[in-house]
Amino acid sequence: MLAQLLSLLESQSDGLSLFEVSRRMKVQPSALQPMLDLLVRKGRLVEIGPDGKCCTTCASVSDCNLLAARGKRYVTAR
Amino acid sequence: MLIADRRYGFINGVVRQALHRPRMDRVTLTDRIDDIVTHKWLGLPIFFAMMYVMFRLVIDVSAPFLDWTDAVITGPVARWFASLLDLLAAPAWIHSLVVEAVIGGVGGVLVFIPGLLILYFFLALLEDSGYMSRAAFVMDRFMRVVGLHGKSFIPMILGFGRAVPAVYATRTIPSRRDRVLTALLIPLMSCSARLPVYVVFGLAFFGSHAGTVIWAMYALGILVAMLAGMVFTRTILKPDVTSAFVLELPPYRAPAFKSVLIHMWENTREFVRKAGTTILYASLVMWVLLNLPRGVTEQRDSYFGKVSGWIAPVFAPLGFGEWQTSGALVSGFMAKEIVVSTMSQIYIGAEEVGFAEQETTFAGDLNEIGVGFVNAALDSGKILLSILPGVDLVDEEAASQDTVLSRILREHFTPLSAVAMLIFVLLYVPCVATLGAIKHEFGASWAVTSAVYQTVVAWLAAFLVYQGGLLLGLG
Repeated sequence: MLAQLLSLLESQSDGLSLFEVSRRMKVQPSALQPMLDLLVRKGRLVEIGPDGKCCTTCASVSDCNLLAARGKRYVTAR
Repeated sequence: MLIADRRYGFINGVVRQALHRPRMDRVTLTDRIDDIVTHKWLGLPIFFAMMYVMFRLVIDVSAPFLDWTDAVITGPVARWFASLLDLLAAPAWIHSLVVEAVIGGVGGVLVFIPGLLILYFFLALLEDSGYMSRAAFVMDRFMRVVGLHGKSFIPMILGFGRAVPAVYATRTIPSRRDRVLTALLIPLMSCSARLPVYVVFGLAFFGSHAGTVIWAMYALGILVAMLAGMVFTRTILKPDVTSAFVLELPPYRAPAFKSVLIHMWENTREFVRKAGTTILYASLVMWVLLNLPRGVTEQRDSYFGKVSGWIAPVFAPLGFGEWQTSGALVSGFMAKEIVVSTMSQIYIGAEEVGFAEQETTFAGDLNEIGVGFVNAALDSGKILLSILPGVDLVDEEAASQDTVLSRILREHFTPLSAVAMLIFVLLYVPCVATLGAIKHEFGASWAVTSAVYQTVVAWLAAFLVYQGGLLLGLG
């Protein structure tokens, strides 16, 4: 299960949010969260905050509700 | 790691075998409707088509009731007032004051209550069903062109009802520059006060196409607002930081009948209140000015006629250089409905159309009102049913009835000058209440800017339409 999760995130250079992982693996977010936390603790994953990469023209990145809703993202540790 | 992996794998396997979640339809009816009404290409045509259907229904369905209200006010109501004044042995000038100022002026505006009730009914339906937020979303792309975003379109939609609350509704917009620009564009949205002017001219000159002409006025208002916005954005209101447009789209729901009725009543009550205060006072002042100096026999020689005559040349290149029209337009600065009430006073007063000539009894009058209402309801029903394809129940002769004022206007205007007049009324200086709201919110300089730019734009637009029409041989 954890190996499956790691291989999914390895294939995503920008990482994935909890809800994106949940959708792709068809597993409830509440079940996935402890697995992601464990992998972060073990140093296999890194949490990154909402980045502004999706917005190229908007100047209100710091107050954007949509960006905040995207939440934390997980990438594999290099 | 390996143990944890196995443990989570086992848990996941157990959960998959033991837990069966019901399959939920994630694409709701709201999503399906939104796919169409907020579509990139279909959204705008659907919005304009809905506005078109709404105004056609407002004009066509309300027309029989409008005729009925007109007949009631100029018939039984005028007769009751005349009989009462006869009983009290009132002098002739009181008769003139009541018949010309109160019944001609205020009554001329009250005639449009059925149309407004139906307009507010449809606006309430659109608002309560959740479509209004979609309209703001759809218009966002348009609004970006003028340096605003969809959030500014919500006060503008409110401006279709009344401009004053729409100006105050700009408080929901965070940036001051966006608020000012939105407030400058709101008066270009046709408020309900202009509807009586459109209906009078529409029915007088365009008959069964009146609905289309009125819809065109609303669309032209939006178009001119876009152009004005583009000019302001490039000159005195350069955009600051572009903020994000985040709008929650509520799910569609069937409008609650009670809430629709409350919406209709509240807005119409405001119109009636205005008729009983602002329009009544303006009509009384107008009557006094039309009858001074004492002993004046021709309205043209009255103070009002003389002042209007001085202003009239300004409007001559627009096709309506008569003193009566210029006087009505100037009085419309108080409230746009007053254009109709002043015209009713001047034209109907001058033509001496007898309101109270016929001899009837009180019971006969009540019977006439009741029968007229039933007939109007039946005619409206037929018009409504005739919207269905293949159904034609409308009696052309009955449908072409119009008000006393409409008949008289045809002698003073051509269809081309009527269009120029409608465009001028659509675009010229906002009413004093709207300017007061702009001054209150943004200061006197912006109120003056609003008044000046709109009057200049209105004059130029009406000039282009009238003179262009003459050059094309449409006059």
